[in-house]
Amino acid sequence: MSVEETNPAATPTPCGDIHGDGRWMSMHERFVSDGKGKEPEVVFVGDSLIQLMHQFGIWRQLFSPLHSLNFGIGGDATQHVLWRLSNGELDNISPKVMVLWVGTNNHGHTAEQISGGIMAIVQVIKNKLPQAHTLVLGLLPRGKMPNPLRERNASVNKLVQEALSSLPYASFLNVDPGFVHSNGSISHQDMYDYLHLTPKGYQAVCEPLHEHIKSLLEKPGEH
Amino acid sequence: MSGDENPAAVPKPVEDVQGDARWISQHTRFSQECKDAEPDVLFIGDSMVQLMQQYDIWREYFSPLHALNFGIGGDTTCNVLWRLQNGELENIRPKVVVLWVGTNNHEHTAEQVAGGVMAIAQLLATRLPKAKIIVLGLLPRGERPNPLREKNTNVNSFLRSWLPRIPQALFLDVSAELVHSDGTISIQQMFDFLHLTSSGYRIIAKPLYDLLLQILEETPEERRASLV
Ligand SMILES: [Ca+2]
Repeated sequence: MSVEETNPAATPTPCGDIHGDGRWMSMHERFVSDGKGKEPEVVFVGDSLIQLMHQFGIWRQLFSPLHSLNFGIGGDATQHVLWRLSNGELDNISPKVMVLWVGTNNHGHTAEQISGGIMAIVQVIKNKLPQAHTLVLGLLPRGKMPNPLRERNASVNKLVQEALSSLPYASFLNVDPGFVHSNGSISHQDMYDYLHLTPKGYQAVCEPLHEHIKSLLEKPGEH
Repeated sequence: MSGDENPAAVPKPVEDVQGDARWISQHTRFSQECKDAEPDVLFIGDSMVQLMQQYDIWREYFSPLHALNFGIGGDTTCNVLWRLQNGELENIRPKVVVLWVGTNNHEHTAEQVAGGVMAIAQLLATRLPKAKIIVLGLLPRGERPNPLREKNTNVNSFLRSWLPRIPQALFLDVSAELVHSDGTISIQQMFDFLHLTSSGYRIIAKPLYDLLLQILEETPEERRASLV
């Protein structure tokens, strides 16, 4: 049995409709049809950190002008994004850059499993969009004070950065501007619930991210 | 329905299953804010309340009214009840409380959810006898008609008939404005068919703001005191 088959974080899984309002599938179907007709240069995919970015002024200011689509769904873990990308969301588009930000919701998975899930997503993108460059964003610290999930996210980043370094078609970007203060705390001015970013938090993340994406778009042939 | 029989009216903290203690950190911060701030308006509830503060409408409409926002994503009536009994009403005397919670009570029936909201409103009325309480109706959810929409509609019906038992409580329901004639909800107003976009919040912000202004202007005893 291969590693992928035993790793739940790397096994494509649709999100079960446990609440009964069909929202997850509605969003997925929306993203699949969004791809048709639009010709995005950049596609953002991931969880609520991607999704909420779309709701604030920073999106229209920095990313709409780059012809970007946003395929973020709150609560998604790597196995959910893996399922979505394997089931239609990449079928009608040919972006130059894919921005991937997912993994902080993989509760119950080890850092190795989450890293494996992220790498499986990178592989699906490579198979479906051989011309695209995938930019994997580092997981942010979370929780007001130091806690095991911060350590887990930091371990995921280390593993992913290492695994990506040898791949020419993908790279890692640490987008944490220094959210953790010297006393170990994270401010609600940056993360309103110590996980999700405020508009101010997004600004600190998105300005360098925007520069990085622009430089990837300007480098033909190296994707 | 008494609190003993209704599970949605039992105060309960959120268990830190994920291990980063975010819920209790937020509750502790809110309780701390009570010591310094003197809010005229207190917003309390789940993510529908919490996200409001992240958009421009908060600064446009509600900050100028001296409002505090005690919203926590995912909270049920049980969690809000616990927070209010454990520090979030200490040291403050708001003139109005805006309560918006119930759509996350997945384990409870519509009648139980409405009973949970009533229990919170009753607690507020007891603790803040001079304050008005605005209860916001639950919004529809899901792109197309589904059982949770029906449940939320039923919660609103119970609240409409029960809230008059609490003299200082008012009910504001804008849910009908979010459903199109073909039964769908637009992604332009609810980005995930549950949470509001900036333009979705505008649908509720204006009527809520008008109601708040009306209430805040009707504070006769203070008006008279300041004139003396
Ligand atoms: Ca690389």
